[in-house]
Parts: sequence; C-alpha cells; structure tokens
Amino acid sequence: MSGTSVRSMARSPFVLVVGAVLTWFIAAFLVWPNLNILLATFFPDGSFSGRAAEKLFSSQRAIKALGNSFLLAVALSVTVNLVGIFIVLVTHYFRIRGSRILFLGYASTFIYGGIVLAAGYKFIYGDKGIVTSLLVKMFPGMDPGWFSGFFAVLVVMTFATTTNHMLFVANALKGIDYQTIEAAKNLGASPWTILRRIVLPMLKPTLFAVTILSFLTGLGALSAPQVLGGRDFQTITPMILTFTNSPTSRDLAALLAVILGLATILMLAVMSRLERGGTYFSVSKVSSALQKQDITNPVANVVVHAAAYILFAIYTLPVVLIVLYSFADGAAIQTGQLSLGSLTLDNYSRVLTQQSGLRPFIVSVVYSALAALIAVGGLLFVARLLQKYRNWVATAFEYLLHIPWILPSALLALGLIVSYDHPNPLVGGAVLTGTTVILLIAFVTVKIPFTLRMLKASFASVNSSLEEAAAIMGAKTLYMFRRILLPLVLPAAAAITALNFNSLLDDYDTAIFLAHPLVQPLGLVIKANTDGAEGVEGVANTFVYTVLLMVITGVTMYLVYGRAGRRGTSPKRGRALPPVSSAAPPPAVTAVSGEDSKLPAAPAR
Amino acid sequence: MRKLQTLAAAAVAVTLLAGCGGGSASPASSDGASSAPAGGSGETLVVYTNSNGEGRGDWLTAKAAEAGFKIEIVGAGGADATNKLIAEKNNPIADVAFGLNNMYFSQIKAAGALEPYEPAWAGDVDKELADGETYWPLVKQAILLGYNSEKISKDAGPRDWTDLWTKDEFKARYERVTGLGTATAQLVFAGILSRYRDDSGDLGISDEGWKQVEQYFRNGSPAVAKTDLFARIASGEVDMGQMPSSIIADREKSFNVNVETVIPSVGVPLAVEQIALVKGTKKKEQAQKFIDWFGSADVQGEFAQKFNSMPVNKKAQAKANPDVVDFFADLKQQDIDWEFVQENMGAWVEKIELEYMT
Repeated sequence: MSGTSVRSMARSPFVLVVGAVLTWFIAAFLVWPNLNILLATFFPDGSFSGRAAEKLFSSQRAIKALGNSFLLAVALSVTVNLVGIFIVLVTHYFRIRGSRILFLGYASTFIYGGIVLAAGYKFIYGDKGIVTSLLVKMFPGMDPGWFSGFFAVLVVMTFATTTNHMLFVANALKGIDYQTIEAAKNLGASPWTILRRIVLPMLKPTLFAVTILSFLTGLGALSAPQVLGGRDFQTITPMILTFTNSPTSRDLAALLAVILGLATILMLAVMSRLERGGTYFSVSKVSSALQKQDITNPVANVVVHAAAYILFAIYTLPVVLIVLYSFADGAAIQTGQLSLGSLTLDNYSRVLTQQSGLRPFIVSVVYSALAALIAVGGLLFVARLLQKYRNWVATAFEYLLHIPWILPSALLALGLIVSYDHPNPLVGGAVLTGTTVILLIAFVTVKIPFTLRMLKASFASVNSSLEEAAAIMGAKTLYMFRRILLPLVLPAAAAITALNFNSLLDDYDTAIFLAHPLVQPLGLVIKANTDGAEGVEGVANTFVYTVLLMVITGVTMYLVYGRAGRRGTSPKRGRALPPVSSAAPPPAVTAVSGEDSKLPAAPAR
Repeated sequence: MRKLQTLAAAAVAVTLLAGCGGGSASPASSDGASSAPAGGSGETLVVYTNSNGEGRGDWLTAKAAEAGFKIEIVGAGGADATNKLIAEKNNPIADVAFGLNNMYFSQIKAAGALEPYEPAWAGDVDKELADGETYWPLVKQAILLGYNSEKISKDAGPRDWTDLWTKDEFKARYERVTGLGTATAQLVFAGILSRYRDDSGDLGISDEGWKQVEQYFRNGSPAVAKTDLFARIASGEVDMGQMPSSIIADREKSFNVNVETVIPSVGVPLAVEQIALVKGTKKKEQAQKFIDWFGSADVQGEFAQKFNSMPVNKKAQAKANPDVVDFFADLKQQDIDWEFVQENMGAWVEKIELEYMT
C-alpha cells in the first residue's frame, strides 16, 4: 500500500472533495445531534451524575440481561459463521444435487425476520408445535417445552441471520481464482486442504465483516428472546427500549446503549487488526472462474447432502407456516390451531381495503430506495478511500461513521429533532423538523455503518495491481474508479442496496418520530394495526404485513441479486475480469511481477 | 457486455448524483417541503393519537371530513406520542392530540407543550377527570383484573390484586407483565402502589408496598410476546390477568372464553383518555373548532356506539352501549392522587424494571 501518509492523501483533489463532504455530513448528522441528545441525557442540569451507572450495576436483572446479550453475541459470531459458510459452500462451491433449490430455501432469510420469524419457529418447535407434537408421540416422556431458553434463541437466530453470508461470502467466493485451486490439486492437495488453505483464507475480509454483523445482531437481539427466551434467557434490548421511552430513565438507556456500542467498536477494532496486512486477491496473470468441486469421499458426500437438505427443511418450514397462518384468524394463530378449512382471504382484504390503502407502501418504497441508493452511492467513494489510505485521519473517519451503531434509533431520531427544530447554520439555516427530508437523513444515517463495512470488505478483495496497471497507463482517479473498481464491487454494492432497502421498509423506531404527517411510511400503519393492545386482528395483521413485505423484498432481491447472479453464471469469464479488457490492455497486468510465482492464497499473517 | 457496462455506469452516476444532491440540496429543498404541506395546503389539521387502531382512525377521518374538517391522523403508542410531542415543542407539527391518558398528558403539560383551551362542551364533563385547564376528558376506561369464569367460580375467585400472590391457588395462574412500557401496566401499578404511600419510604412507597411488587413478579407467569392474555386463558396456560374494560367483550368472542372481573374494595383505577390543543399550532382556531366538534355529545355518542367505549360526556352516554354504561355506573373508582403518581411513575418504572422483574 503506497501513499498512506496524511500529507500524500491531502494532495489528491478527489480525496479533498470527498473529505469535505464527509466532514460536513459527519458533523451535521452524526456528531452534533447525538452529542446533543447525550449531553441532555447525561447532564440534565448541566452537571454529571453517576446515577445511571450506579443504578445499572446494582441491578441483578440488568447485569444478567447484559451478560445474556454478550453471550448471545459471542455464540452467534461462531454459529452463524459455521452454518453460513456451510450453506455457501453447498450452494456455490461443492457440486451438490439440487443446489438451485437449496439456494432458494436458504435465501428465505433475505425476505423476512423479526418477531414473525421467531413466531414461525415457535409454530414448529414450540410446546404446541408440529415437530414437538411428533416427538412427544415418539418419546412420551419428553418435555414439550424443550425448545426455549438460550439454546432455542441461538438456534433461531443462527438460522435467521445467515443472509449476509449468502450474499457477501458467496459473492467473495465467486471471485476466487480457480487457477490457484487447480494448481493446488496438481500439487496433490486434498479437497479439505484446498478449502482450508486456499478458499477460506481468501474469504477472510468478508468473513470478518459478517462476523461483526453477527456479533451486533446478537447484542441487539430483541424478538427471538422475547418469544423463545423464557424466564431464564432475556436480553438487554427490551430494557433499553423501555428506558428510552421514559424521559426520567433515558440516561440508563443511553448508558446501556453506549456499553453495547463500545463492545461493537472493540470488536470492530479487533477485526480490523486481523484484516490488516493480508492479501485477499489473486495475483495470477490470468484468473479464471471458479468451478464447482466434487466431494470425492462417498461417505462425506452423502453426509454433506443430507445435512444440506435438513438445513433446507429448517429454513423453509417457518416460511411456509407463516404464509399459511396469514390466512387464518387471529385466535387460531395465537392458540396454534390451524385447520385448512378455516383459511380465508379476510385478513388480506381487511388490510388492503383500509382508507390509507397502498399509499404507505409507496411512501416506504420511495423512502427506502432513496436512502439505500444514497447510502451506497455516497459510501462507495468513502469506503474506497478508507480502504486505500490507512492513517489516523482515515481511522478517525471510519470510527465516526459507526456512531449510528452505538445509539438506539429512537435516540438518534430524538437527537435530530432537538438539533434541527430551529434554524441551524449546519444545514444552511434551515429548520428540518416537519419536513420530508429529516426522515430521509435518518434513514441514510442508520444504514451507514453496515454499508461501509460491507463495501470496505468488498474493496479489500479487489486486486490492487489492476489499479496500478491502469495508473501506469495514465488513467485518472475517477476514470479508474469508474472503469475498474466499480464493476468489481458492483455486485456487492447492489446486494447492500437491496438489504438496506428491505430493512428500511417497515421501520418504525425512526419513522415514528420523524415522519412527515402527510407522508407516513408503512411502519406506522403496521404498528397501528398490529399492536398487542389493538385487538385480535392485530396478530393476524402482523402476519399479513409480513407476507406482503416478503413479496416486496422478494421482488427486490430478484431484481437486484437474481439478475446479477444470472449474469454471473453465463459469461463467467467475461465477468471475472471485465475492466482489464476495457481499461487496461492485458499485458499491463504483468506489472505485478515476481509475486505470481508463489501460491497466492496464503495471505501473510 | 459493453452496453451493460454503460448502463451500469449510468445507473451509478445517477446514484452518485443523488448521493451528492441528497446531501447538499437538503437545506434548499427542505424549505420547499416545509412550507408546502404544513402551511400551504391550508387547513389540514395534524392530530396525534394512540387511539387510531381497529378502524378508529379511519372512522374519525371520514366523520371529520363530513363535518368539514380535513384531518391527518398520526398514530403512535402512548409513550411514543408523548415523547414526540415533548421533543417537538419548539416547532410543533401536531395541532391536536387525543387518546392519551391523564398520566401522559400531565407529562406533556409539565414540559410546556400544551395550550390552555376550554372546549364548548366543558360543562358536560366531570372536570375532576382532567386538569380543567389544558386537557379535557373524552373516554373512560377501567383497568381490571379478570379471570376465567368457566374455571373459577365467583366465590372462589380473587377479590383483589393482592390475592394473586398471597393465596396459593392463584400463584402461577396469573399472567404478569414483562415490561412496564404500556399504559395499562403502569396504571395497574399506580393502583397497587398508591395504597402503600409512605413519604419516608423509597420513592414515596413503604417497604410493604415494594414487597407486594416483588411478590407480583415472583409468582406470576410471564406474558408471552405476541400472544394475547385471552389466548393463554383459552389454552389453559393461565386463568387471569390485567385487562382494560373496552377490550373484554370483543376478546371473549374471539377466543371463546368467559371472563369475570374483580372489583377490589378500594376500587378500580380508571384511565381517562383526553384531548388537548398543542401549544404553538399555526391553525389554532381550526384546531379549537375540531376539539369542540369531537368532544361534543353527538360525536362522542356515535364513537361510543361504534367502538363500545364509555364516554365521559354525560349527554353522549345515552347513545353508548347500555351494558357499558351500567357497568361504569356500578363501578367503584379507586381514589388515586394522580399528581403523586405522575411525579413518581418514571422512577417507579425504573425501580421495578431494575430490581423486581426477573
């Protein structure tokens, strides 16, 4: 890596422009509002009190819940990687019969999550669940409440959060140079050695990034522990939410959030350190597309096939049941009794014939799409610069951009309100509350950390020699960015955009405080129709909205990812190195001299 | 391939433009956006409420339109709506708020976000149910303890909340809350803790009072997320728990259970849903007219008829469901010092969440 000093960074006009915009954005929307709300929280009368810490650390419940959250975060970081890597390998690396079907099953987590997912698992494994009833018939002595507590929460959340693996790890896998694998084979390496020594090391930047996300998911776990955790395994998030809502206890919420935030940042620092210094791209002269591998050992082959299909069943059963239950009445859903005769379209006609009709859907689609595009579009430059320049300025920016991970979204929203309810010079003297822009700003902000992490990981697996070659040929910064880097990270960028879009569609926590009264997004309507105290229909409506959202997010994933995937399968060779042929003539690649002789897949550790 | 690349590049260019535009143009465009819908389209009243579920919001919007009011309802839970009104007090977006109970409204009032107004129907309601100055009562709701009457006979049933954890036969048979975020849960605790007021005790409550809370959590069956109490009663998991009066009839039908309610000798806590004018509204006159219209005997009567509620407006009670009116006529209201409760509720919730919930 050349040019990592601050001074050389400041010489590039491109860096200066991006840096200026970024500095303004961070100051105006990440630092100022959150500083405001934290100051108001911790220094209510202008003086600091240690009250919050004292209260929290003398509470057994808080400590236990906090411990559970951390336990879950650590456990998930391991289990999600195990399951995630396995399903990526069986769908993209090994030759498994029916891998397209398997892919669709595993991809079901793309389109739904949250409380309904937890409920879906409960329908199957809960005390009145289908599988439990079968098991109890077979083993009469069995405890019907077996599926609860830490174990159940971990299982459900593991299977629910492999989305990032399916998208990003699979994407990184496709970028591996097959020649290295062939070379290893010729040298007599076993499939296991190839996997361990060549394939997995190349996936490291992406694995580090998704591990941080799994850790974060565990720390913030809310619905799975509420539904399945039982008395013994409750997490800290519900307490944070309750305290956020109570003005006199908001300091406790902020303190808890800051504790979780610091843990996340610590995790981030560890992962960044691990990631540093490795080479995560192929340096061979002409790379070729990955080909699926046979599992040569027949026993291993059968075992892997069986495991793949068992996982397929685990992934798809809840979705099927949720769709079925969305046609049943609310009482049947809650008592867990489903009869095929009682399925009607009543729920759907009730939800869709409301006065507000389709309008909230459109509002949410527009807001989410704009926010997703702006976040990814803007951060493409930023992620690239942060990945390229490694000095204290870049590190400082990177950590600042993670602020939205530290605070719960309700506090972020309140911070924006108190900072921009009066003309503020940071935004040119405008008042932002009551406008349609403020929610967009919040949506973009909350998506920044995730977008940055994933983009940075995908830039890390781009071969820097391509860029050097182009630079030698005289390509300008922007030209290089556009013609070389962008095409390589585009699949990942598209996937990130789609995930951002999906996750914002039903947002409630931010929208409730910031939405313009005449432009209300879907989350508010869903809440009004599904809240516990809103009648029996509420639960049925939850299922209907989940299925409707599944349709929207399913279409999005197909449009963005399904098509990109297809493009990847047919002219693979063309896709693997498109920029080389157009931006720089192939011979220039030989600029990477010397290194191509050794096996590229052993990154320096 | 080439075409595809051009396309992709174009798409990204647009994205990037949007990226830059979204950032730098926001101050400019926000001026336009703020003036257009909030001020420009004139008389649309923005109404915040937590009482818009089960079709109430749609019904009210349609009725208001008939009466010549263009309103936009913004629904939010009681705590959310309260926090939103307080956070926005420097530059309010709402014109009217209704549905929140007296506890929430007294918080909003204390933050200085309400404008005093005496509605035209002020003489038809019991002023004791509100503050007689900024917020005014619309609908009464009793917070009750109900039990499965098919399983437990009236003689064998509990007589008061405290029976739940002092008598063995009710232990583990009642549902207890897992969070104090909801208004109903807070009112239950207001009812229990108020009995043990002791100014020398912790947060104004005697040790005996806190012991009751401890026992409540120790012996109850924790509520299950997204599973209604009535669903749990129907499946036999529990037999009793807290319930606001307005939902009982509907849930009994849906889950095919029968529930009997307990009236303790000290009485029952009442939640009174209120309406108020938001301070700083730019459509004050219109908002006042709307309050006058919505709280009037006619509209409250129709609302009560449609949604089985108990109107506070005495003239509206004639139109309400007679069963409901009779129930409230016999009901003994618990005498609760709301000022004391409001002052301490935040701290109580905090203490309970930290120390007693297990």
